[in-house]
Amino acid sequence: MANLTRTTALIGALAGLATTAMAEDVTITVWAGGSNDSDSYRIEAIEIAADILEREAAIMGDELNITVEGRRDFTGWDEFKQGITLGAEAGTAPSIVVTSHLDIAPWSQAGYIVPVEDYVDLDSWPLNNIYPNLMEIASYAGTQWGIPQDAESRPFFFWRETLEAIGYSEDQIDALPDMVASGEYTLQNVLEDATKAVEMGVVEEGYGFYPRVSNGPDYAQFYQSFGGVLMDPDTGKLVLDKTAMTEFYQFFVDAVAAGVTRQNHIGTDWNQWYTEVANGRAAFWHGGTWHFGRYATEGNDDFWGTIQFSLIPAGNDAGRANTITHPLVYLVMDQEDDRVEEIAAQLIAIASEPRLNSLHAIQSNHLAVAQAQSDIDLYRGDRWASEATEVLLASATSQPNHLQYGAFSEAMFRGLEAAWSGVQTPEEAVAEVEAQMRATLGDDLIVR
Amino acid sequence: MTANSRIWHLVLILAIFSAPLVIMYVYQVIDSIAQPDPGSLVPGAIDLSNWRFLWERIDTGRPSIWVVTFNTFLFASTTAFLVTSLSATAGYALSRLNMPGRPYFLGGLIILHAFPTITLIIAIFIILQFLGLFDTLLGIILVKAALELPFGVWILKGFYDTVPWEIEMAGVQDGASRLRVWWELVLPQVKPGLFALLIISFLSGWSEFVLPLVLAPGSSTQVLATFMNAVIQDDATADFGLFKAIGMFYSIPVIVIYLVFQKQLMNIYGGGTKG
Amino acid sequence: MTSRMLGIGFLTPAIISVAIFFLLPVLLTVVFAFTNMSTSTGIMGGDYQINSEQLRSVSEIGISEESVELLENAGFQITEAGLTALAEQFGDETAEELREDYLGETFTARRDLERVLRNLDEPIRQTRDRKTAADLFAVTIIGERFDTESQFRAALEKTGVDPVDHDTLTEFAYTGWTWTTDNFSLLLELPSTLRFAANSAFYVVCTLTFNIVFGLFLALSTFYLPSKTANTFRAIWFLPRILPPVLYVLMWNWFTWDNGFIATVTGWFGVPPQNWMMQTTTRAWTVVILINGFVGASLGMILFSSAIKAIPTSMLYASEVDGANRWQQVRYIILPQMRWPILFMTSYQTLSLLTSFEYILLATDGGPGRSTEVWALAAYHTALNNYGGNLQYGLGSAYALVLVFIGIALSALYLRFFNFKELLAKPRIEQ
Repeated sequence: MANLTRTTALIGALAGLATTAMAEDVTITVWAGGSNDSDSYRIEAIEIAADILEREAAIMGDELNITVEGRRDFTGWDEFKQGITLGAEAGTAPSIVVTSHLDIAPWSQAGYIVPVEDYVDLDSWPLNNIYPNLMEIASYAGTQWGIPQDAESRPFFFWRETLEAIGYSEDQIDALPDMVASGEYTLQNVLEDATKAVEMGVVEEGYGFYPRVSNGPDYAQFYQSFGGVLMDPDTGKLVLDKTAMTEFYQFFVDAVAAGVTRQNHIGTDWNQWYTEVANGRAAFWHGGTWHFGRYATEGNDDFWGTIQFSLIPAGNDAGRANTITHPLVYLVMDQEDDRVEEIAAQLIAIASEPRLNSLHAIQSNHLAVAQAQSDIDLYRGDRWASEATEVLLASATSQPNHLQYGAFSEAMFRGLEAAWSGVQTPEEAVAEVEAQMRATLGDDLIVR
Repeated sequence: MTANSRIWHLVLILAIFSAPLVIMYVYQVIDSIAQPDPGSLVPGAIDLSNWRFLWERIDTGRPSIWVVTFNTFLFASTTAFLVTSLSATAGYALSRLNMPGRPYFLGGLIILHAFPTITLIIAIFIILQFLGLFDTLLGIILVKAALELPFGVWILKGFYDTVPWEIEMAGVQDGASRLRVWWELVLPQVKPGLFALLIISFLSGWSEFVLPLVLAPGSSTQVLATFMNAVIQDDATADFGLFKAIGMFYSIPVIVIYLVFQKQLMNIYGGGTKG
Repeated sequence: MTSRMLGIGFLTPAIISVAIFFLLPVLLTVVFAFTNMSTSTGIMGGDYQINSEQLRSVSEIGISEESVELLENAGFQITEAGLTALAEQFGDETAEELREDYLGETFTARRDLERVLRNLDEPIRQTRDRKTAADLFAVTIIGERFDTESQFRAALEKTGVDPVDHDTLTEFAYTGWTWTTDNFSLLLELPSTLRFAANSAFYVVCTLTFNIVFGLFLALSTFYLPSKTANTFRAIWFLPRILPPVLYVLMWNWFTWDNGFIATVTGWFGVPPQNWMMQTTTRAWTVVILINGFVGASLGMILFSSAIKAIPTSMLYASEVDGANRWQQVRYIILPQMRWPILFMTSYQTLSLLTSFEYILLATDGGPGRSTEVWALAAYHTALNNYGGNLQYGLGSAYALVLVFIGIALSALYLRFFNFKELLAKPRIEQ
């Protein structure tokens, strides 16, 4: 009897404790850049994580109500970054952003973001399961600022029928990725074959080589193809390799001169571009691993039968076949209330569960961030995910997290644009890029 | 006879020059309800699916069109009201009231009137942020109103200048205060001006794009201009039919205002900038 | 109430709002142009930090070798003082355990110390707490962020770095913006400066010419047309002025893009589909000038039409009686009367064209290859809008400042030009 009363009292006390415990309401805002419908799990994973965290709290006897407000309707990366930066200045920044890892350097310097490692244990699940190289990409100056949200790479694509029409056998086409990787098949071969395809009338003029239509990490790959190095590992300075840059520009100018690429290609409408490459209007192009899903929605149901993919071929002997992975990362933005930062970081950790991340990876055709994802049926069953991982991710590099890399890549692209569109010769363009970089980067630049 | 044929020449030349615009207008309407097949210009069957944005979200990530429309309306009408009322007082002061520094105000006004505003947007951002108004509708309303003010004051000053002095003289001699004279006698005289300014500032607010884009990037403060631009730029959908339907919806108030107040609008744009 | 008081009262709201959102921004633009403000410096001032990346270049700022080494190797040291603090916050047992195993040891990375704290028998369970605990032993300043200069200096003191280097290091560690005139020397140095200026000049001259010539043509032709026909054309040409820019440019996109009107029509004659806006520099300029020109021409039309209407009809009748034909009438009667409206239009539009970039932003965004990037657009791109998110407020303001100067200079010039005295007729009621 006495025992019973004691138990009842205890239960009562516990219940009382539970009801008197302050209900905590937290609003977490998530802004995701460059995301459309198929990337909805960048936000929804946080919503699911919020549900889990609420339940965890409830078991501990705390009432935690998390409201997740997501936003991804930005006009483009430019507007997204503008909004984040100005919002951070004004103190209206979202709690969590999904953005390029390149933003870590400037945003951490400016104090816009807080290190995720301050709030979550990197040695525990699921963060200890994330690929170390991806974790490295999400860190800067020895601090783990963010957690990788997805991985991808930017491969080179070939339209099989076109290759067959200019004389390739099926076996040769299947062997192409290896030939590219070993450096036997180079960008010069691409140019020759593209010219052939145009001359034989297999593809229209301007559709031999059909690159990305706007600025993006993709173009740094071509710089690397010609032997360019983005950052000097010893000094941590950015590197302008003038020879590599000139040859990289020259390649695009040659492509225009040969009639395989349009002079005004940059600025082509993205939708038009997707439709065209998905349906074989172009012989060669390069894009992202996540384009896989887009090709299907553009009416190409037979990716494997129509398209071949590989690393970006080497440009010359100095360079190598390569690809750049440009993971998006979850970052926690500086908030007035430390508690919001803490919860935001915990949500990010939960959202990195292999199962949750696989939802995003498969829905949007991105690659896994954690090793365990290859054990999840949803992910393992996806041919594209596994093959792309195998062919591309092993040799993928990334752009450096450097305070000035934004200015560097902007200048590099502007130079390319000027040479490509015929406003300047490659030499003039490189000279201007050099002047621009010397002026804006100063001591952070090595010119070779 | 010859005069007539000469007129036809003129009409022909005008028609050729106007053709691009007319084609744009016509297909603006056609594409939104009966989009031709690719490669053809013959309207297809009537298809209202381009207007689906009215009853469903085109993309779950975007706010509802009605919220956006409400924001736009709130933004444009509040701006218009602010500009008109502040210009009504300031314009009167500059036109009729004797006070220290009046020449400087007038000179300053002219400079501001012709002054680059949009280049100041970086600095304006900082000020809004200090005031805690960044990313709020109120913030962009105040900015837009301030940027429109020199124009508004200038226009209304022009209207006040044409009001005969005798009206005020009579009022003052009757013993009314200047304030009462202004409110009861002068203001009714410039009603057309007030009205025109109200419409113009409303239209200008309704169209505004860069200010909301930079100074109010949040989803809750989207206006039709930024909403529509985001839909157009989104590379997941390229559907001129949809864009044009949204454009039609967006321009309805503009067209209505235009049809109703055509004459007044022409007058004010013509007269207001006489410098 | 005196008219003076009323005047001030009437003017105040307008003045306040113009001062806050108009004059103050002008001043701030001047100020910012002399700073290196950017995304990474932030706008609101900065903190103090030296991270491992910065450490790599710290020897280049004239710090002694020993100091660099001290900075590099300070790490986290398990000292008695730290242990006492630890005991206070996290309990004696934890502190005791740490003392036994690790007293005197140095950890280079905080992560290593945190691992130790986690794996104690009496571990510190929360990540946050481990950070706090590890910080009690911090000697290093690398990667730490300090809110104020004095905090930073105090921490610097602890590292044992030679005091002569403190000032240099403090300056080096500041993350906020600093004063500089580099923006202007950069503008002088960059080859693109001249191109943007040339683009702007080209754009203004061409668009303005189009506006005036075409606006005049519209005004004159509609003047001679029967009123119904005239009104139709006026309506067609008035709409661009009031249609929202986003929609107006969308119509042009449709008209000129690959799958748009021109491409469709030329496609019938076997011309491969192409983007008639962005294909070449010439086309881009043509479209940009037309887009702005149509809007400007509609202003010109309205302005000139009302000026023509103001010409006394008797003058026109008289010329017809004299046997003048239409052309002579235009040439000798109407055009001379147009001098002032044209002059006004020129001056007014020069400024607004010079500084507006909305239509170009929406249409070509400065492309292809930055060939239609005008000065104002370059200012916007530099300061607020580019792919890398690398916002350079300082440099952007320097661009803007140039426009501000041109704006003030031109306005002042116009002020002299357009009989200012006339506007200053004294109020006739004095009270």
